[in-house]
Amino acid sequence: MGAVTGSVGETLAAIVGASRMQEGAAVDGTFAVDGVLPRWGVRVQTLEHVSRVLALAWEAGLAVVPRGSGAGQELGAPPSNVDIVLDLRGLDQVVEYNPDDLTITVQAGVTAGALTARLVPRRQFLPLDPPAAEARTLGGITATNATGPLRLRYGTMRDLLLGVKFIQADGVVTWGGARVVKSVSGYDVPKLMVGALGSLGVIGELTLRLHPLPDAEQTWLIPCRDAATAQEFVLRLLDSTVQPSRVELLNAPALAACGAPGSAAAVAVSVGTAEAAVKAQGEALGGLGRAVGSAAARPAQGFWSRYAAALVPAQCVELGVATLASKVGEAIGEIERAVAASLSGVAPTIGGSAPLGSLRVVLPPAEPARVKSIVERLRAALAPAGGGVTVRRAPRDVRVAVDPWGPVETGAFALMRSLKEEFDARRVLNPGRFVGGL
Amino acid sequence: MPLSPGVVTELQRILGPEGLVLSHEGRLVYECDMHTFYKGAPDAVALPSTSAEVVAIVRLCRRAAVPIVPRGSGTGLIGGAMAPSGGVMVGLNRMNRILEVDLENRCATVQPGLINLSLTKAVEARGWFFAPDPSSQMVSSIGGNVSTNAGGPHCLKYGITTNHVLGLELVTGTGELVTLGGKVADRQGYDLTGVVVGSEGTFGLVTAITVRLVHAAQAVKTILASFTDIEDASEAVSAIIAAGIIPAALEMLDELMIRAINEGTGAGYPKDAAAVLLIELDGPAAEVEAQGERAARICWERGALEVRVAKDNDERALLWKGRKEAAGAVGRLAPTYLLQDAVVPRSKLPAIMRELREIGVRHGVQIANVFHAGDGNLHPLILYDDRIPEELERAKAANEELLHACIEMGGTITGEHGVGLDKAKNLPLQYADADLNFMYRLRGVFDPDRLMNPGKLLPAHPACGEGFHPPRPRLPQGAWI
Repeated sequence: MGAVTGSVGETLAAIVGASRMQEGAAVDGTFAVDGVLPRWGVRVQTLEHVSRVLALAWEAGLAVVPRGSGAGQELGAPPSNVDIVLDLRGLDQVVEYNPDDLTITVQAGVTAGALTARLVPRRQFLPLDPPAAEARTLGGITATNATGPLRLRYGTMRDLLLGVKFIQADGVVTWGGARVVKSVSGYDVPKLMVGALGSLGVIGELTLRLHPLPDAEQTWLIPCRDAATAQEFVLRLLDSTVQPSRVELLNAPALAACGAPGSAAAVAVSVGTAEAAVKAQGEALGGLGRAVGSAAARPAQGFWSRYAAALVPAQCVELGVATLASKVGEAIGEIERAVAASLSGVAPTIGGSAPLGSLRVVLPPAEPARVKSIVERLRAALAPAGGGVTVRRAPRDVRVAVDPWGPVETGAFALMRSLKEEFDARRVLNPGRFVGGL
Repeated sequence: MPLSPGVVTELQRILGPEGLVLSHEGRLVYECDMHTFYKGAPDAVALPSTSAEVVAIVRLCRRAAVPIVPRGSGTGLIGGAMAPSGGVMVGLNRMNRILEVDLENRCATVQPGLINLSLTKAVEARGWFFAPDPSSQMVSSIGGNVSTNAGGPHCLKYGITTNHVLGLELVTGTGELVTLGGKVADRQGYDLTGVVVGSEGTFGLVTAITVRLVHAAQAVKTILASFTDIEDASEAVSAIIAAGIIPAALEMLDELMIRAINEGTGAGYPKDAAAVLLIELDGPAAEVEAQGERAARICWERGALEVRVAKDNDERALLWKGRKEAAGAVGRLAPTYLLQDAVVPRSKLPAIMRELREIGVRHGVQIANVFHAGDGNLHPLILYDDRIPEELERAKAANEELLHACIEMGGTITGEHGVGLDKAKNLPLQYADADLNFMYRLRGVFDPDRLMNPGKLLPAHPACGEGFHPPRPRLPQGAWI
């Protein structure tokens, strides 16, 4: 392939400029995916660059791995093939900000931190708060459907993405959705880009719905004697007129990592609204706490950043456990038992949105076979109620040993496979990483 | 082309004598939805009671290459639930049961024929409701709401139908019964649920829907502010949003509409008002109180003629009365009207209101406005007399010009009604060939034979046809090929 390699490199250099392209032995470590260096590393600066690189890859049958900050590179199966790594961080322009409409259009490489800086002077924000969001690109947050505690009140990227410009596998620039907050014209194409890991198109530009920052916000911690009590508290809270922004359930290791007072479990609740209403809802929360024999207390300042940090230690295995709000207590018991059975002496850090039944489980790095047995045991336990387990972050060998996504319903998967075949028949985009090896 | 005797016999076998309408008079009932311009009766109307029957119908029609048109209550406004090329209409009204209510997990699973309001009625005593509230909610079906991705006055705060659908059971165009999404929030794989919502029956037939339920708010406050100038009212809308308030609903009526309503049952809007703004806030009592005061102050600052706050539920109902009767009230101004559903960015409301006036003058038609101001979703009613042919032509011309104006301001051709047969031709205003082609191919994934609701949503356009390829980027000279 030597001759071909040379001319692909020349073409790439002609597209993005020689200084933004690395080839062969010259490709530096920042382009590595799962420890594998691509044959070419490319830093794009315009959507036109993306379009032309993909057109070349399509013609040449090369596999392209798009990347933003790299924070999500341990999500999904290791790629089956990596020829070109496409670094999108150069797409860092705000295209149009319309504060009066609460909308903004940005390129995919803009980081959540840069976006916040742009919005705060107008007291607006994009309510997406996955751990360490500041450094992450919005394209990456979209492609990985990254979420955080605010998801309870504001939804996920699914609910905030109004329009998207993406580049299909063959280089065709395509637009879907709208630039206004309400539209039902045509198919809701943006939904297909959320959480798809760039496997149907490379995200180039996003139009987002913004929200006003609340006037005031407070957080309470409700310590509970066990996870079942915490669940009970959450269900009472959901059946009340309190409108919380975040409701996260933490187990003892998670509480310890946040520097919070020790208890078997606790629920962290925040309320953001007009000042008088924050106070009134705090009182209501106190009453709900007392009903389950607990006293709501205010954690030290900065609780939510400590919580986010607790869930993303430098090296770890992170599992996403999906269940129902009514089964969260049970699921936590299952998780603790499954971990104890495979990793003696390890207590998993567990935190997540109890109302949505969406838990993060953080384990120290462990042998792949042990992680596999934990995941398989949990999948079997959760499946009857429709729950599941994904490996959201783990070293490569773990994601080789265990399917990071788990099973997808057969009929739905057949449609997903057809979608991939329709829009990326040559398997150019992130091949092998998405569900079922798509 | 009428159905072959073999197909009819087979349909009778699947559905039984009570489940199939074949008579001319019977079929005529189904010839249009609420957009009565577009008429096309199906060759047969199938009324299945189970998902299995729906599967059997789709498989049969696919084998016989017969088009299928889904229909709920027929209250759509876009020429969606009618059969322009005949075929079998599948009326889902008999599948109208609530399959499960699960308040602990804040959701319910229902059949598509269930009436929107029936779901709220079933859970409201326990303090819950189903948020999407199209004006047709007393009669429209949840399946229809899913099909058009329906909105409603309260979607400003709560979101449209898609934000409330957790999962679906779908019979695809190939007759496969598939389960998409479900009660558990985190799913792996593509968001197929999200792309089926709003696909207007062109992907298949939805036979069960899992929806999110929302807990009723502690307090509701409804404020009516009237203005002598619609631009002041529009600015008040922007100022309320800029103040960080997202009302549950933020509705506006213009002068002509106010007059029509006042002449009717009499909601008692101020006579000199050129615009009425209806603001509804809901949430914790202290929040509603604080935001209500702020919203009222903003209205006064923008020169409001009057600001009324409903003191109780009766007063609240009275303030809404005029808004709810709007479409009926215009009957006093003209025999009929074209109803538009375009959207502009909220900040462009003053500009589009000026433009609308000019369009009305240019085409010699009256345009009455009632709209969801909070999200820029316009509902101009272009009045005309259908006994005068030339008036209809003028109304149509004004309608087209209005759509173009909204698109030029960065808007969209439909905010909540959908595309259907009515606006398929307008889709290229908003999307380039590559975008349309993507949609065309997407539809093929679910319905390769393109027998599901043909002629709807996608335009007759070269980009929506086999063999079309959007231009690909050119590679530099001397590329490796």
